[in-house]
Amino acid sequence: MFRFQSLNEDCMLEEEDDGLIEDEDEIDQFNDDTFGAGAIDDDWQEEHKRLAELDERDELGAGLGFGGGGMGGDSDLSTSERPSSTRIPSSVVHPPPPSSLASLSFSSSSSRLPPSDVEDRVGEGDLAESLARLILDADPAIAGVGAAERPGLPPGSSGSGLSALRGLDQPRVLPQPSPILPPTQPHQHPQHQLPPGLPASGLPPSSMLSYQQQQHLLRRGTAPMGQMSSHSIWENSMGFGPVSVTPGLLTHMEDNPLMSIIKEVGHPKRAPQGRNDEDLSERAPPPRSSSPVIGSPPVRAVPIGTPPKQPMSHALNHQNSPLCRGPFPPRVGPVLSQIQRAQLLNSQVAGFPRGGPPPLLPGGGGFRPFFGGPPPPHGHRMGPPPPHGPPNHAPPLRHNTTHLHPQHRRMLTQRMQSRGGDRRPGMDRRSRDPYSNLMTQKEKEWVTKIQMMQLQSTDPYLDDYYYQNYYEKMEKRQEKEQDSSKKEHTTKLITPQVAKVEHTYRPVQFAGSLGKLTVSSVNNPRKMIDAVVTTRSDDEEKREKQVWNKRRQILYTVEKMYSLLLEVQDFEKCFVQAPEEDREALLEQHKSNTEQLCSSLREKEWDDRVSDEQCVMIMSVRKGKRLISRLLPFLPSMQAAAVVMAIARNLPALAKKDKQDQVLCWLVEPVSAVIQSLSSASLTDLLQELQGSEGQLATVLHNKFGVTLLYVILSEGERMQSSDPNCQLMDDNRWTELVFSVTRELLSVPSSSLSPPLFTPPNLLSLFSRYVDRQRLELLQDKLQISALSR
Amino acid sequence: MDKVCCCLEVDTHVIVTGVMSLYAHKKQQQHKMNYVPGTASLIDDIDKKHLVLLRDGRTLIGYLRSIDQFANLVFHQTVERIHVGKKFGDIPRGIFIVRGENVVLLGEIDMDKPCDTVLQQVSIEEILEEQRLQQQAKQETEKVKMQVLKDRGLSIPKADNLDEY
Repeated sequence: MFRFQSLNEDCMLEEEDDGLIEDEDEIDQFNDDTFGAGAIDDDWQEEHKRLAELDERDELGAGLGFGGGGMGGDSDLSTSERPSSTRIPSSVVHPPPPSSLASLSFSSSSSRLPPSDVEDRVGEGDLAESLARLILDADPAIAGVGAAERPGLPPGSSGSGLSALRGLDQPRVLPQPSPILPPTQPHQHPQHQLPPGLPASGLPPSSMLSYQQQQHLLRRGTAPMGQMSSHSIWENSMGFGPVSVTPGLLTHMEDNPLMSIIKEVGHPKRAPQGRNDEDLSERAPPPRSSSPVIGSPPVRAVPIGTPPKQPMSHALNHQNSPLCRGPFPPRVGPVLSQIQRAQLLNSQVAGFPRGGPPPLLPGGGGFRPFFGGPPPPHGHRMGPPPPHGPPNHAPPLRHNTTHLHPQHRRMLTQRMQSRGGDRRPGMDRRSRDPYSNLMTQKEKEWVTKIQMMQLQSTDPYLDDYYYQNYYEKMEKRQEKEQDSSKKEHTTKLITPQVAKVEHTYRPVQFAGSLGKLTVSSVNNPRKMIDAVVTTRSDDEEKREKQVWNKRRQILYTVEKMYSLLLEVQDFEKCFVQAPEEDREALLEQHKSNTEQLCSSLREKEWDDRVSDEQCVMIMSVRKGKRLISRLLPFLPSMQAAAVVMAIARNLPALAKKDKQDQVLCWLVEPVSAVIQSLSSASLTDLLQELQGSEGQLATVLHNKFGVTLLYVILSEGERMQSSDPNCQLMDDNRWTELVFSVTRELLSVPSSSLSPPLFTPPNLLSLFSRYVDRQRLELLQDKLQISALSR
Repeated sequence: MDKVCCCLEVDTHVIVTGVMSLYAHKKQQQHKMNYVPGTASLIDDIDKKHLVLLRDGRTLIGYLRSIDQFANLVFHQTVERIHVGKKFGDIPRGIFIVRGENVVLLGEIDMDKPCDTVLQQVSIEEILEEQRLQQQAKQETEKVKMQVLKDRGLSIPKADNLDEY
């Protein structure tokens, strides 16, 4: 940066000037190419004169910066020609006070003027200053915020420049990588911003810079400039550009939350109101026609993950102290309007219902995350208002707990109160911590809001199944414990649900045009490739994959059945919750589901019987076994019995397949339930099936489930016999014979191959005692370890 | 409740800013507890001293200053604590920003609780030396193991970045 100063002496302006003059037209052409024909129509020379006049108003002692390339410099930019602008004595060039040195070097570096002639720099400074004045006048809102734009500041020099500025009270200067905006007054009005609406004027006057610089500027400036103009199209206030923060700034971060704001947000760029409308209308393409949800999401210059800025009160407080200290003109108006606006728009875009309607929650009365905002519409309130106090001074916890179960909320408040006392010692310590509360309240709320948003759901039973079920169970338990007199405690959980809005995409269509545009966006992604499913009909391949396909088929069937089963299982819950009108439909649905389930167990559509093969197939998979165990209670008794028969019949095969999983025992409970509802004839049949062919019983006994099943059957038979002496079990000899064979087998089978059952029904002994003699009974007792106590 | 309403004029639109309640400051005190009841939130942990274990095995101790929705953490006055055997050493690290996915566990350090530990604090150089020795020893054993396995014709893939897969 100092090299500029040294070059100062060299004064190569004349040569540069000539070159520059020729190139000026080219530059202008560049302007138009880059920024469009409507980029700037004003006569910047006129503008400059005006600014220069403005400039006179300010007398600033400490050096001034002329952050290079002032606005709209004339080609003949020797100071003499513009007496009005030459207020600043040449002595300024050689910086006396450190601040001016700083500003000087900073500005000169930022201007990147090699041939910095004194006058030139001064002139530019004037320009810059006057321009800044104009802006200030035009829009005081811009005034306070952020930084002077520095064209194409090389980071190194900017860093040093900034650190040099440390001496200043107002470290509001931020270098801007995009060089286009014209330089402003350095330290005096560092918070001046140059409007994006003056892009061409933003280009340093050709005469001021060398050709290389201009080229450099252009090259570097094109992209951000384009961005800037596009920003101005959509949202003036949201035209935040990228900001590079230099290390020199960091020292200011602590005492300047404003800086941190700027760091995050960038420079709000805004055209002066005067030239806004015409320019923009010329430049702007038609606005996007898509709705926020269907079409593209609203444009955010600030990325979505950005936390909110400092709260307004916070910033306002800071505004008053530092700003008033510095050598700022009183004109510096409300610093934070930009920031406020930014916050607003940020929060709006983020769905925060502060200002306008939240764009993402259309449909009447959708649940709104309301965080410190107005309370949500009452219709979505959680049950009765919480028992602790009127809404006005309810504990802060309320806002976040709309969709908590009342039980849960009660627990929480209790917990809070109990812990309230403990906090005091810790809090004292924290209040003394100078670094505390770096994360502002707003930011905390913002994070919490995001977390709460994740809790919103359209279907809480689906999304938050375990939570809902847990509290339901607790509720039931409480109901049992308490008597019905204390009705107020058991409140229903009404979870606010986000309105499910159906969005159908209708392609955008312009009037009078043929066809429709397909605008692809995050919310409606466009199908790019038409993928056609072609099944290869290669016979060989088919044969090879048959086995594999079969398994897949099974899995697929299991999956489908499972979803049906889950729906059937949840039916009751839904039924209870559904309003009257929906109940019929639900019932219908339920019936059809059950039907489908049953039919899936059959192999062929017309065959009413439960297919053995199908059952076995399903049960060859672990999940299938689980499925059957869950399904059995829901099947009609006929079918359930048939399934159990099938199981018994194919037990050896099943046992073999289950070797790896060992989960057949899941079936014990539902099967027992089914067995207990069987008639005696069926029971006998079942026992017969279980015994099946020769040797089957041995296999059965070898398997845990088999043994258990056997015992259950026997136990059931015994129960039948003992309870009802006239039971038909003894009508034919089948039962007796079967039991005989069972006992025979039990005795003959070696103990090692006899698998211990899951449980031993107590009445087995009494059963056996009917059929076998004492000696055998004892043997059986020992073998099966049936205790005599059960007698 | 004092409220301040600000109206801003933005081009031709008038946007009413959110109601700024001046008791937000007071609220801050009340909000110490349980910002997000029903779920876990790190909000209550802010400005407290924490110990965090990272996926690469490092242990950091520092004041948790800021968080975000991904549980990225900002630590202040961070100290990296290296443990070797019964000794430990602290390396001051300054400000740390930890990406949320790299956190294994995070716990608040109770400043009030009396510290009765058998661990002995040593200087940084010493602990680094100890650590180096420990690493070396580990590598040696690993090498021997690999050699032995190789002799038997077996090989176990190095568990370097198993964590990643």
